[in-house]
Amino acid sequence: MSAAAALPTPSPAAPSPGRPRRRDLRQNWLGYVFLSPAALLFVLFIGGPFLVAIALSLYSWDLLTPPEFVGLENFTTLLQDPVLIQAFANTFLFAFASVLTHVVGALLLALAVNALASRVVSYLVRTAVFFPFIISWAAVALLWQYMLDPGFGVITHYIDRIGLTPPDWFLDPAWALPAIIGIDFWHTLGFTFIIMLAGLQTVPKQLIEAAQTDGAGRRQVFWHVTVPMMSPTLFFAMVVTFIGAFQIFDPIQIITGGGPDDATLTLVMYLYEQGFQSFRIGYASAVAFLVFVVIMAVTLLQFWGARKWVHQQ
Amino acid sequence: MSTTNPGTTTTTRTDTTPPPAGAPSTRRRGPRPGRIALNLALLVFAAIMAAPLVWLISTSLTDPAEAFRIPPNWLPIGTTTENFRAVGELIPVGQMALNSVMVAVITTGGSLIVSVLAAYAFSRFEFRGRSSAFLIMLSAMMVPAQLLIIPVFILMRTLGLVDTLVALWLPGLIHVFSIFFLRQYFNSIPRDLDEAAILDGAGHLWILFRMLVPLSGPALSALAILVFEASWNNYFAPLIFLSTPENMTLPLGLVALQDAQAGAAPATVFAAITMIVLPVLIVFLIFQRQFVASIATAGVRG
Repeated sequence: MSAAAALPTPSPAAPSPGRPRRRDLRQNWLGYVFLSPAALLFVLFIGGPFLVAIALSLYSWDLLTPPEFVGLENFTTLLQDPVLIQAFANTFLFAFASVLTHVVGALLLALAVNALASRVVSYLVRTAVFFPFIISWAAVALLWQYMLDPGFGVITHYIDRIGLTPPDWFLDPAWALPAIIGIDFWHTLGFTFIIMLAGLQTVPKQLIEAAQTDGAGRRQVFWHVTVPMMSPTLFFAMVVTFIGAFQIFDPIQIITGGGPDDATLTLVMYLYEQGFQSFRIGYASAVAFLVFVVIMAVTLLQFWGARKWVHQQ
Repeated sequence: MSTTNPGTTTTTRTDTTPPPAGAPSTRRRGPRPGRIALNLALLVFAAIMAAPLVWLISTSLTDPAEAFRIPPNWLPIGTTTENFRAVGELIPVGQMALNSVMVAVITTGGSLIVSVLAAYAFSRFEFRGRSSAFLIMLSAMMVPAQLLIIPVFILMRTLGLVDTLVALWLPGLIHVFSIFFLRQYFNSIPRDLDEAAILDGAGHLWILFRMLVPLSGPALSALAILVFEASWNNYFAPLIFLSTPENMTLPLGLVALQDAQAGAAPATVFAAITMIVLPVLIVFLIFQRQFVASIATAGVRG
C-alpha cells in the first residue's frame, strides 16, 4: 500500500521512467472493474437522471407530444404560482415543527431514560417509542386516519370525554397540517430518540463528575457539559430530520391528498400532482429542482452555523 | 424480628457504609420518590405510544359489527378471523407479500454486493479519478429521490419495465450511503492483513470476501437492516411504477384496499394493516438490539 500511495498523481504527459510497474497497472485496471457495477448503476439511476431532470426543467412536455424548449419559463411561472408558494410555506412549516419537536422531544426523553429509568422501564420505553418507526407510512397513515375519525376514532372519543369539541381534523384547514405533524411525531420520534441515546453514551462520565465536584448544579452540567459534548449528535439529528421532513409525501398523499384547500399541500405532493397527474413533466422537474436547491442551501447553512456551536473532538 | 439478619440487609447497607476498595459505586441505588414518579411518567408515555397498536390489533380481531363501538374496545371481543379472510378476498395479499419480500431481498442483497465491491475499489486501489468519483458519489447523497423519479420513470417506460418489480429493485441496487459507510469501515481495517494475504498468494476477491467482509459483520448487518426496512416500507416508487394489483407491494396494496370504497369495511382495512405490521413487529422484537444499534451507529458515525 505504502508503495502505491507514494506514487505521484499520474500526469498524462511524459510518464516518469520506471513508474508504472506491471503490478500497479493491474491494480489500476482492477479498481475500475470493482467499481464498474456501482458506476454503471450510478450513471443510469442517479447521475444521468440528475442531469436529465435539470434539462427537463427547461422544457414543456406532456410525455405524449415532443418536448418543447421554453428556457427559464417554468421557473418564472414557479415564482408567481400562488399554489407553489402555499406548498413551499406548508413544507417549511412542517419541516420546522418536525425538527423542533423531534429534537427537543427526543433529547428530553433520552435524558430521562438515561438518568432515571430502571432497566425494565428503559426497555419498555425504547421498544414502545421505536417500533412505530419501522412501520411503513402507508400503514401508519391509514391507522391514524381511523384514530382521528370524527365518528368512531379513539382520539376523537377521548377528547370528547374530557369535555372539548374535537375538530374535524382532516377536513379543517386549520387542523389538517397540525394533525400530520402529530402523526409524524409518533412515527419518527423513535429514530431521533435512539440517536440521542447513543449520543448520550458518548458523554464521558468523568467529565460530569468533575463538574459536579466543582459545584455545578444539574442545569449547569446540562448546558456546559452534556450539550457541548452531544453537539455533533444534535447537529446530525437536525440535518437528517430536516432533510427527511422537507421531502414529506407518503402520509399527505394517502390521507389528505394535499387538501383541504391546499392546507397540507407540500412541495413533493405538488411535484407528484404536476408530474404524474397533470403530466406537466417540465414544470414538475422545476419543482423538484427547487426542492433540491432548498435542501442543499439549508444543509450548507446548517454546516456553516455548526462551526459556531458544534464541539469538535 | 427486631434483630435483622445481616445476610439479607447487605444491599441496603452498602448505601450507608463505604464500599470496599475497588467495588463499583452504588450511589444511585436508593429509591427516591422523584425517581419513582419519573419512571411512572415514562411508563405512561410508553403506554400512550403503544396504544394505537393495541387498538389496531384488538379491532382487527373483533367482529365487524362490534369493531368500532364507542367507547372503544381495548381488548378484542369474541376474537374472529373473519376480517383477515375478507382481506384475501379483496386484494391478492399473498402475492403482494411475496412481491414485497422479493423486492426487499433482491435490493438488500444486490446493493450490498455492489457496495462492497465499490467500497473495496475506493479503499484498496489507486486509480485515476478515484477521489473525484468518490466526491461525485458522496454529493449524490444530497439529491432527493423526487428529483430523479421523473427521468427514471421515462427510462423505465422506454425499457418497457413500468408496472414490473424490476422497476423497483433495479434502481435500488445503487445505494450511495452504503458505499460511503463501508469504505470508511474498510479503511479502518489494517492493510498489513491484505499484504500478508497477497504474499500467501491470495487474490483480491479472496481478500475481500474471505477477510474484509467477515471482519465487517456489524457494519454489513446494520446496512442490511436499514436497506431492507427502507425497501419494505417504500411507498413513493411503487406508487409511481405499479398499477396492477398482482404486481403491487404491500404498502401500495394496503392503500389500494382502502381506496376500493365499494368493498373494504374498516375492520377489513384494520386486518390488512395488522397483517403488514405484525411480521415487522415480530422481527423487530427479535432483532431489537441490532435495529437500535444500526440506527445508533449511523448517528454516531454520521
